[in-house]
Amino acid sequence: MIEVSALTKRYGDFTAVRDLSFTVQPGEVLGLVGPNGAGKTSTLRSLAGIIPASSGLVRLAGHDLATDPVGAKRHLAFFPDEPRLFDYLTVRQHLAFVARIYGVAQHETISEPLLVELEIADKADQLPGELSRGMKQKLAIACGLLHGPKVMFFDEPLTGLDPLGIRRMKDSILRRAREGAAIVLSSHLLHLLQEVCSHVLILKKGEKIAHGTLTDVSAQFSNGEANVSLEEVFIRATGGSEN
Amino acid sequence: MLGALLYLRLTSLKNLLLSRLRRLKQPKYLVGAIVGAAYFYFVFFRRFGRALARPHPMPRGLALPALPSFDVLPLIATGGALLLLIIATFTWALPTARPGLAFTEAEVAFLFPAPISRRRLIHFKLLGAQVSILISALFFTLVSSGWSFLGGGALIHTLGWWIILTAVNLHLTGATLTVTRLIDGGVSTARRRTVVLGIIGLASAATVFSSWSNTPFFVPGEPEGRGPFAGLTDLCGYLARLLDAGLFHWLLLPGKWVMAPFLSVNGTAFLHALWPAALILVAHYFWVSRMEVSFEEASVATSEKRAARIARIRGGGAFSAAKPKARREPFRLPALGRPELAFLWKNLLSTYPLFHWRTWLVCAAIILVGVPWIVRHEELKGVAIGICIISAVVAAYTLLLGPQFSRQDLRSDLGNSDIIKTYPLAGWQVVLGELLTPTAILAGMLWLTLLAAGCALEPGVVQLSWFTQGVRVFAGLGLALVIPPLCLLQLLVPNAAALVFPAWFHATRQRTGGIDVMGQRIIFVFGQFLVIVLALAPAVVGAGLIIFATQWLVGLSAAVVFATLLALAVLIGEIWCGLWWLGGRFEKLDLATELRP
Repeated sequence: MIEVSALTKRYGDFTAVRDLSFTVQPGEVLGLVGPNGAGKTSTLRSLAGIIPASSGLVRLAGHDLATDPVGAKRHLAFFPDEPRLFDYLTVRQHLAFVARIYGVAQHETISEPLLVELEIADKADQLPGELSRGMKQKLAIACGLLHGPKVMFFDEPLTGLDPLGIRRMKDSILRRAREGAAIVLSSHLLHLLQEVCSHVLILKKGEKIAHGTLTDVSAQFSNGEANVSLEEVFIRATGGSEN
Repeated sequence: MLGALLYLRLTSLKNLLLSRLRRLKQPKYLVGAIVGAAYFYFVFFRRFGRALARPHPMPRGLALPALPSFDVLPLIATGGALLLLIIATFTWALPTARPGLAFTEAEVAFLFPAPISRRRLIHFKLLGAQVSILISALFFTLVSSGWSFLGGGALIHTLGWWIILTAVNLHLTGATLTVTRLIDGGVSTARRRTVVLGIIGLASAATVFSSWSNTPFFVPGEPEGRGPFAGLTDLCGYLARLLDAGLFHWLLLPGKWVMAPFLSVNGTAFLHALWPAALILVAHYFWVSRMEVSFEEASVATSEKRAARIARIRGGGAFSAAKPKARREPFRLPALGRPELAFLWKNLLSTYPLFHWRTWLVCAAIILVGVPWIVRHEELKGVAIGICIISAVVAAYTLLLGPQFSRQDLRSDLGNSDIIKTYPLAGWQVVLGELLTPTAILAGMLWLTLLAAGCALEPGVVQLSWFTQGVRVFAGLGLALVIPPLCLLQLLVPNAAALVFPAWFHATRQRTGGIDVMGQRIIFVFGQFLVIVLALAPAVVGAGLIIFATQWLVGLSAAVVFATLLALAVLIGEIWCGLWWLGGRFEKLDLATELRP
């Protein structure tokens, strides 16, 4: 599970994330939303251990990210909006590399079905430069899933995917959640959140505006109206602007 | 319409200059600008000022100090014309696909769908090129201000360079469009190459054939009995006469006309030389501007390739335009074991296939068989000494410059730092793993040079009383042991620079220049050299003292062993400190923030 308490991230005098606290239980999918510059990416990068938090506590699968970063990172997977791959490694070589880093014994028994599931088995000997954007995204996902992470962070997971890819990505996220992973995803696509997320956290200028299940958050901003869309909730919660 | 395109060019240029000036508010650029300006002043401007102050009592063709009796200007004109001919030949012969005019992606997006004719787009390209041509002409004027054999003044040189560069630009544009038209018309690459290279080859053969008998080795009046290869002066004179004969004379004539204004010794000569050059420029302009070729598709492909290449360089990738190819793994990587080796495996995949342990073994075998064979033959003693000298020079270059070229480490992986930082590894493990590949490559090369020198340096080859077999063996083994940590230490410095000053490092990786970026590069090189000297000093001084203090007691061979152990201890200690510190830096690194302007 993911436990975040009083997380703050500052860049010099600028505070990107202020005093953020929330918990994501196994099986839950938390959608992180907010206008541009709300601090979503800073939050995700702090949670994934890419940048150190200025203050606050982050525990991933029971490991304190500040004091036991290696232990915490054994259980997490981070999927950036743009797949970060190594130019000179084929699909199969990417998986061999990641398996060694995470110490995944007999990784072939995991990676081969994973490649089939993600429909890139026939590209196993190709380099990233020979893959389409969607295929690269799938490879990044395969690398992230190889060690069976309990905690996952997705930054704009649907960027650049075709409709079929979007459907598969949604199914994949839901399947991992059903298998017990705690997932946080950041996206501007509110329909994705509506379909995939069990919880939502709205950020604005680095601060938490609302947090809870989709029903709770909708109720908080519906002003008693029925069937208020998440888009309307978002606009009301953020005041309809970035500032 | 052309006004709008001109507005785009001039506004872009103005904004570029303003942004360059604005970034001087950041100390890293300001310091870089100061160092860059100082470099320019001391290397070029001071000399340029002196050249301007110096009167030019120019007879035509001021002589080079090394060639006191030889008029070099005709040779320079011929050589320049030959270079232009070679450039033109490559432009016509090289392209294998439809070459496109180089537009940026933004220009493609805005201009191609706009109601602008092809002819105007070509004019836009020509006008746009003028900005860089003018800047280049000024820069080359500064560089050529030190050429003592040149006559004329700064204005003549600037205008001369402008004419040369504009002619080259116009010819490249015209050739690009014409080759595109030829390909569209079904003319194959092989056929085009055959025609182009055939013309040049025939002209060369005809010239050489006719000149061999007709071009005298000696000019009347010169002392006879000297062959054309007796001295540099004779050789230059002969070459100038050879290239000025037969069909080659006519092939080189346009190039000579283009070169002539630059080589003019005074204003009158310049005006005389101007009209043939202007004729060439005008003819080229009409050729280019009258071409009706659908270059858009090829230009879109060119711009995409260019954008991808820039993105790859900005991400820390290679400058090379070559497309990566899938390769066989350098060794089998089991899933369990030290994770640092995974980086060695990964980064070896990104190097040339040549860097493989089998290659090293083959080279070592050749050295082990070949060099002792040479040493055994007394008549080849000079070759053995030559091997020692060459090995020493190659080793010195590998040690000093190797870390700048072998960059399969953090410097190439900075773009992936976000993902690497999510791995369950301590920072020092990542840094160590990343450094293993260039360390292995450099150490392999140094070991080969050491092996070659060690085999060639038989005690019989060098007449030194203290250089015994024992000293040779122990010194060789000691150096072999010290080489890997030495390489690792060397590599720590540029990687530290990339981690500690990522913005500086990133700025120096950009192809876009500026005097400030050039200054940053100078500071980087100087800083690296200084840090390496400081880091090596304790090991070198300590090892020297050990040898000096103990050789009287235990003999030189044993003293070398002790010195090696001390040097190893010092180097490993420094490496451990460096890895620990850099690991911490890597864990805290936020590249996105560091690169924010």
